[in-house]
Amino acid sequence: MYYKFSGFTQRLVGAWASDAYSPQGLKPVVSTKAPPIIFATPTKLTFESTYDYAGKNKVPELQKFFQKSDGVPVHLKRGLPDQMLYRTTMALTVGGTIYCLIALYMASQPKNK
Amino acid sequence: MTHQTHPYHMVNPSPWPLTGAFSALLMTSGLAMWFHFNSTILLSLGMLTNLLTMYQWWRDIVREGTFQGHHTFTVQKGLRYGMILFIISEIFFFAGFFWAFYHSSLAPTPELGGCWPPTGIIPLNPLEVPLLNTAVLLASGVTITWAHHSLMEGDRMSMLQSLLITIMLGIYFTLLQASEYLETPFTISDGVYGSTFFMATGFHGLHVIIGSTFLTICFFRQLNFHFTSSHHFGFEAAAWYWHFVDVVWLFLYVSIYWWGS
Repeated sequence: MYYKFSGFTQRLVGAWASDAYSPQGLKPVVSTKAPPIIFATPTKLTFESTYDYAGKNKVPELQKFFQKSDGVPVHLKRGLPDQMLYRTTMALTVGGTIYCLIALYMASQPKNK
Repeated sequence: MTHQTHPYHMVNPSPWPLTGAFSALLMTSGLAMWFHFNSTILLSLGMLTNLLTMYQWWRDIVREGTFQGHHTFTVQKGLRYGMILFIISEIFFFAGFFWAFYHSSLAPTPELGGCWPPTGIIPLNPLEVPLLNTAVLLASGVTITWAHHSLMEGDRMSMLQSLLITIMLGIYFTLLQASEYLETPFTISDGVYGSTFFMATGFHGLHVIIGSTFLTICFFRQLNFHFTSSHHFGFEAAAWYWHFVDVVWLFLYVSIYWWGS
């Protein structure tokens, strides 16, 4: 019969051999080092040793690109394509709102019978 | 050289909350214009500006997190809280429809014949397509868990495969449900049975489509190496949402399809 100290009841209670062989308080220290980040290459062996990942990993260069300190806000950081999309969205939104206000004004007019 | 001495993310000024708010105005007034004046231009404009806003807003979040490194542990915690609170709000949204269903079905009025299903309503057989739908969504819950574990273990191919299967199961559910909608002998205007059935299952179907879209975006992000084995909150948020959609279906199946027949 093995025993362990129960932190809950503050008494010795029966335990399995496994608790005796790895006593509480003396468990192996959990590594505080963060596990290595697995980015692109898989750890498992695949049946094909050469694998085309449908293009290479462009994240590191994109990270460098978007971290350029040029003062440009993130929604315009890519330059022209961002600007075009932003202007289209704004134009449609503002234009739509004006159209909406006119339509609501007209809809609120009493019908002249 | 200035640098922040706190772990929070001070976001660049962004126009998307404004365009989002106005797109909501255009969508709601567009609905009114459609209902009362048979004009769909405002509604279409609203939906288009809404889509543009969502695309650019979330594109910016990917830029800020994956490319600029703003998503520290603290920021991620905030994002987790946000997603959980959003899902809870959706639970309350569905609770309303379930309330309506139980209100009408637990005490059927004399106008319905005093019984549930009401007189004249032929309900769908719960052991046919609805049961298949249940199996499809439960299986998709398994495959998305497979995808998550593959991601955490760095198994890129398995993650892509299992995520793809999950998405295909979601599309399969949507197609099955669409075919069921065409086959029902009752419509949304067939009294309170039709109303509660189609409102509850209809909004659920919309959420399946939203969830499948979210998962598809995660698929393309994984293809482009955005996720790491230890930092992939976008995927986790999609998985939480997917499980929520699955659970809502289980409640729908048991309440409306099974007990309600």
